[in-house]
Amino acid sequence: MDKSLNTLKYTYLLIFFAGFIIAGSSCSNESPDIQNQLLGKDWEYIAEESEGTTVNFMMWQGSPVINNYINNYLIPEVRKRFNIDLRISGGQGAEIVQLVMGEKQAGISNGEIDMVWINGETFFQLRKIKGLWGPFVDKLPNAQYIDFEDQYINTDFQQPVNYMECPWSIGQFAMVYDTSKIVSPPSNLRELASYVRKYPGTFTISNDFTGMTLLKSFLAELGGGTNSLNGPFNAEKYNDLSSQLWHYINSNKQYFWKKGTTFPKEQSKVSQLFANGELYIDYGFGEGGIEEKVKSGLYPKSTRVYPWDNGTIKNTNYLGILSNSPNKAGAMQVINFMISPEAQFEKSHADGMDANPVIDINRLPVEWQDSFNSASGRKYGPALRDLENYAFPEPAPEYMIRLYDDFRKKVIEN
Amino acid sequence: MKISKHQLGIVFFILIGVVPFFGALLYAVLYSFGIVGILNEGFTFLFWKSVFHSGDFVKSLGYSMSIALVSVILSVGGALWLAINFTRNFQSRFFSFIIYLPLAIPGIVTAFFTFQLLSKGGLFSRIFHRLGWIESASGFPDLVNDTYAIGIVLAFITLVLPFFLLLFLSVYKNENIEQLSSLAKSLGANSTQVIRRIIVPILLKKTWIVIVLYFIFLLGSYEVPLILGQEHPQMLSVLIIREIKQYDLTKISEGYAIAVMYTIMVSLAALILFLPKKKISHET
Repeated sequence: MDKSLNTLKYTYLLIFFAGFIIAGSSCSNESPDIQNQLLGKDWEYIAEESEGTTVNFMMWQGSPVINNYINNYLIPEVRKRFNIDLRISGGQGAEIVQLVMGEKQAGISNGEIDMVWINGETFFQLRKIKGLWGPFVDKLPNAQYIDFEDQYINTDFQQPVNYMECPWSIGQFAMVYDTSKIVSPPSNLRELASYVRKYPGTFTISNDFTGMTLLKSFLAELGGGTNSLNGPFNAEKYNDLSSQLWHYINSNKQYFWKKGTTFPKEQSKVSQLFANGELYIDYGFGEGGIEEKVKSGLYPKSTRVYPWDNGTIKNTNYLGILSNSPNKAGAMQVINFMISPEAQFEKSHADGMDANPVIDINRLPVEWQDSFNSASGRKYGPALRDLENYAFPEPAPEYMIRLYDDFRKKVIEN
Repeated sequence: MKISKHQLGIVFFILIGVVPFFGALLYAVLYSFGIVGILNEGFTFLFWKSVFHSGDFVKSLGYSMSIALVSVILSVGGALWLAINFTRNFQSRFFSFIIYLPLAIPGIVTAFFTFQLLSKGGLFSRIFHRLGWIESASGFPDLVNDTYAIGIVLAFITLVLPFFLLLFLSVYKNENIEQLSSLAKSLGANSTQVIRRIIVPILLKKTWIVIVLYFIFLLGSYEVPLILGQEHPQMLSVLIIREIKQYDLTKISEGYAIAVMYTIMVSLAALILFLPKKKISHET
């Protein structure tokens, strides 16, 4: 009996270590050198390499119009043109970062995902863990249509992009209100304070990326101007402005939604609350992002977008290639197509995905310029240029990290 | 060497149940001390210190325990009341269908359902508004994402009460409680005495381990408090996932530290729960 127990013990140990060895052996898969040499090759070679491959694209799948664009336009097009099998998996921000961290931890050099759709916060995190491959954007033929002199394109959260990620769409954060409920919506902090007293319970801040972006607008206003947060992170400035901000929020939050005892976890919740009439004020990226919501009947037709006096954030979202992507050539081919005039035009339709083209219309061939200029605009939302004078770029990522942390500690837990 | 069927069973149990569990625990321990994790720089107590310093774990533990306790007490109480008063009714097909149905519904669906019914823009709120009982959506009481976790408790009761009801009904039958009760009555006990001295003690004594296990289960539940809870305090699983998936990558280890503490706590509870029973079974 004892003997057999002992042998059993060894069996377990053996199995245990075998597990580790199997896990460890996946580290040494194929050399990634061949993939990295791509940066020295010309486009013809890359295009040839990409033919007939599979590309795995991880993106946020939370919007029906975006999914529709991807599934019914992009996927069939890249199959038809380049015989590329584009596969989508859902995931954004933290999920992408966690995936890359996990794969790096396990030493997997041939990862699951080739390309990702990201914004500045994820760019910052991926750079931190060396998760992005590049610089590749200057290799793409269609990059000629992009104006890399534009500060909103060449700088992401105050970090130089340096061709490590390819711009895909550009948009601005904007405020939204229901004209049937309020006549003149608040457009600065002073007005907001009196607004919430007049209409208690109809305003809140979501505890996510969108809400933090709103807080950045507030922070910039407290700083005394549109560009007060520009430049590298300044801890002293942050401490000073943020303590004013928390004081402002805490002294007004009893008039917020649920008397400020809790805040919605995410923006989609704010949208729901706006849709069912609990909130009168909403906000969002993509110039407020109301076009599709009004057309689909989620928001009332009386919904309008308005600018915040001191400005709101305008930013670009990007496509990146992961450092352990097994098919970098395929990802480059797909990304190059995604910034082509035809793909960007398709993406800009007001009753489709409704995303501003990131390419500079003036650089396009004349026939494409005509198409873009004659396209019908939005019916409910504003055009990007309408908000031009109310825009400022994303401040350094540390502002975001600190705001997240402090909003929880100094407001939610207070 | 021959391996018996019994031993093979143990090997499979260890392979499927124990190895992944301890593997994950080991990984979490290493992560919490900064030994693994690509942004960690080696062994440090920093993350454990900051977890203890912030008090989040204790707060969240207290919050989770209160919610789990209240939910279990209300579910067990409700199930006892139903089982004792309506024993006969549940033998009918219709009623047994009604109590089996909730068992087939996953927690996440219950959570969404609760939200759709009880939020300020939900079904009840709309009905009340239509009836003129409230003037606007904001007049409806705070039942989801609320300070007192009413939504979470209601969802838990919906999930757990039917199970206890079935359990009590079957114990009622198997332990011949019906006969015992009539015996007690013939010896002169009144019905309150029968319930308090015979039915309830037998039911609880036979099922207390399951009740405690359900308490532990609710303590660690994730999707219901995620959907129906508020941003602070949060139940343990929600807190752990939030810490692990947070924006500040240098603080991920704090989430693992909380996860390790929680795992150790639950494991100890399970050990305490099952060890004495083993001794008794050896004696008999």
